[in-house]
Amino acid sequence: MIELGPELARADAMLDMKRYDQASGLLSRLVAAQPESARAWCLLARAHLGGGRHQQAVDAANRAVSLDPSDEWPHRLASNALLHTDNYPEALRAGMEARRLAPGHWQAHICVAQAALGARRLDIATAAATQARSLAPNEPDVHFLSGKVSLAAGDLDAARAHQERALALDPAHSGAMNELGRIRLRRHDTRGAVRHFIRAARVSPTESVYSRNIDVVILRTVSRMIYIFTLAALLLIWIPVVAHLGRFPFAIGFTVLGAIAVGAFAWMVLRLPPEARMLVRRTLRGRRAAAALAVAVGGVAVAFVAVALVPASELPQILPIAVIATIGARIGAFAILRGAARR
Amino acid sequence: MCARMAPAASPAPYCLTLSLLHLAPSLIHPTPPDGRMEPDPTVLASLRKAVEAMPDDVPLRVHLATLLLRAGQRDEAIRQVGAVLQRDPGNAEALALLQEPPGPPAAATEPGGTGPAASQEASSPPAAAGQPPATPGRPPAAPPGNRKAGSPGREEPAAPEYDWSQAESELRDVLPPMFVGSEGTNSEAAADAADAYDAEPSTLKLADVAGMAQVKDRLEAAFLAPMRNPELRKLYGKNLRGGLLLYGPPGCGKTFIARAVAGELGARFMAVSFADIIDMFVGQSERNIHELFEIARRNAPCVLFLDEVDAIGQKRSQLRNTPMRSAVNQLLLELDDVGGGNEGVFLLAATNHPWDVDSALRRPGRFDRTLLVLPPDNAAREGVFRYHLRERPVAGINLGRLAKLTDGYSGADIAHICETASERALMDSIHRGEARMIGQQDLEAAISEVKPSLGAWFDTARNVALFANEGGAYDDLAAYLKKRRLI
Repeated sequence: MIELGPELARADAMLDMKRYDQASGLLSRLVAAQPESARAWCLLARAHLGGGRHQQAVDAANRAVSLDPSDEWPHRLASNALLHTDNYPEALRAGMEARRLAPGHWQAHICVAQAALGARRLDIATAAATQARSLAPNEPDVHFLSGKVSLAAGDLDAARAHQERALALDPAHSGAMNELGRIRLRRHDTRGAVRHFIRAARVSPTESVYSRNIDVVILRTVSRMIYIFTLAALLLIWIPVVAHLGRFPFAIGFTVLGAIAVGAFAWMVLRLPPEARMLVRRTLRGRRAAAALAVAVGGVAVAFVAVALVPASELPQILPIAVIATIGARIGAFAILRGAARR
Repeated sequence: MCARMAPAASPAPYCLTLSLLHLAPSLIHPTPPDGRMEPDPTVLASLRKAVEAMPDDVPLRVHLATLLLRAGQRDEAIRQVGAVLQRDPGNAEALALLQEPPGPPAAATEPGGTGPAASQEASSPPAAAGQPPATPGRPPAAPPGNRKAGSPGREEPAAPEYDWSQAESELRDVLPPMFVGSEGTNSEAAADAADAYDAEPSTLKLADVAGMAQVKDRLEAAFLAPMRNPELRKLYGKNLRGGLLLYGPPGCGKTFIARAVAGELGARFMAVSFADIIDMFVGQSERNIHELFEIARRNAPCVLFLDEVDAIGQKRSQLRNTPMRSAVNQLLLELDDVGGGNEGVFLLAATNHPWDVDSALRRPGRFDRTLLVLPPDNAAREGVFRYHLRERPVAGINLGRLAKLTDGYSGADIAHICETASERALMDSIHRGEARMIGQQDLEAAISEVKPSLGAWFDTARNVALFANEGGAYDDLAAYLKKRRLI
């Protein structure tokens, strides 16, 4: 007969050390030997959640619920696990059940707010976050989630205030730093956003989402530069038709355009923190970014060469082709960069 | 019999000794007139060597203790029994040996003891461990509590009560107490504590580690050469306080290198793994950590190797469990104690996640020296292939090509490749109905099947090198990532 107490304590210690796989192994053996222990099933659900095995976490949590339906913890675990499987309605239902069983627990209200946010029920999310703040005004996670709800509702100032409160309570709250970065992005402050993402990555380097956010910002910046470049090119290719300029000035114009684009991009990159500059270098060396730049520059170059080399009498026929080439280059480059950002 | 033994430095002497004892009992001296069977001293010497080579072999120790008792070497016999009981507190044979009354066994009933009695003794098999040898005319000694000694109907004088306190005090002299000032401590608890952390000699050397020249050079410069040359160390003011933290991706030989370092230093090796650590946290974690270090100090020179040190020394800010935070505090205290002058204990630690280790553990005087153990280089990969294929039926293997194809693979990945190739050959042999050798194509097919497992580690490492490299703690790692264009 396995002694449950010490084994559960071992499992709890493993979970605290984030040894989710070892904890899963131990707890699986425990629940096989003593399947009536709701606590063991709850810990197993936690282990599966930590290990990214969300469906198994749901199953374990549901088993715990069946053994002890009056305990709020298995309902909360089930809600968290269902969120990760994108089953928001069920996650909300489980969260509400946890809240019904333990209305005084701020964690249950947070659970409801998270699930409601996923299900796009902002009214429920806002009410739950408010209730959680009244129960636990000094919990950083409460303010963190309130900030996310405010951001989803479009209230950027309230979102920022909540995240700054979370950071005041826990200066190492990397989630709050990340959210501040997202708020900056909404305000089109790329540099500020990158600084917050870097802070978050510095505090929790093992969380890949922060460096991923920086990659996305870099790709968006590259995409914006390509947009401006191709737009300027689109305007420039009309000049020979409208102003009857010679080829030489036209070639100079193209060169100046390219230099301005590169210069502007370099200036933006130099203003970034050193870590972000290294990431920019890495991103530009990547296949997708390089391909997007090649498509954009190549398409524009083809359009310019066509306009520059063709006799003036044939310009009106060539111009639409040049415009299509330029627009096509922009669309192609964007498609490649979007694929890179989704990866 | 040899196959049952744990892999040890020299199993051959053990096998030889046992075969001598069981197949050639005539090597034991003929029974002297008083009926006592004295073992051959050479046999005892061989057994002692075998026990030294395999200290955890309990039946071997019991056998040695039995023969020592017969030879009248009681003190040494008690020492061996004590060592048995440390490893196996309930060992019945060892406990029975303790019940042997002191003094020589009684004389044979037949005068002279020659003739039929002698021949009977010579041809009888050796006594089972724990049982006193049968003497002619006398039945085997009865177990405690059984007063039916001798033939039925004959009145025998009552056997004297066994003096347990005398036996305990004899043992206590031989085995030092686990805790100072606690001689009354339950010996079973003391045995359990010692059980968990065995300090064993290491036979590995750095020469046994294939390739990895840079790692070996760094070890030599930072640790081994100063250790071996104390005069030069003093001259150059090289400080050896603190320990060395080996970090790197999983399955790349950190534990193996730690054992090789112990072998180079000629020190005993005491490894504490995650399984030991987790047991520390269920119960009195501070006491257990203190005990761990005390055992290391008692076994000096000793390399104390903390495997997965990020588990025992995790950032306290990340721990919600109070006993674990206390454990980290206790570990810090012990490290300061070791650095403060307890000679002979060399600290090594290994982790796959140095960024999860509490920063206080990385301060000067603690684990302030780090060594990055990267995936095996070409020469090391060849060595790993050679090692894992050495006992398999292989033919025509081009190790150089295999090493080239497995750039970026860990040692564990290469072991998996060899296993996969063996399975391929095995299944093919079963289908064909005849055994065949494992060939180059099996291994190359396995390489295309088995992907390197280090991607996730390097993803995290990249973030650490980019964002969390304040103070240059991960400059080595950053340089490697730049070289591989991962940054």
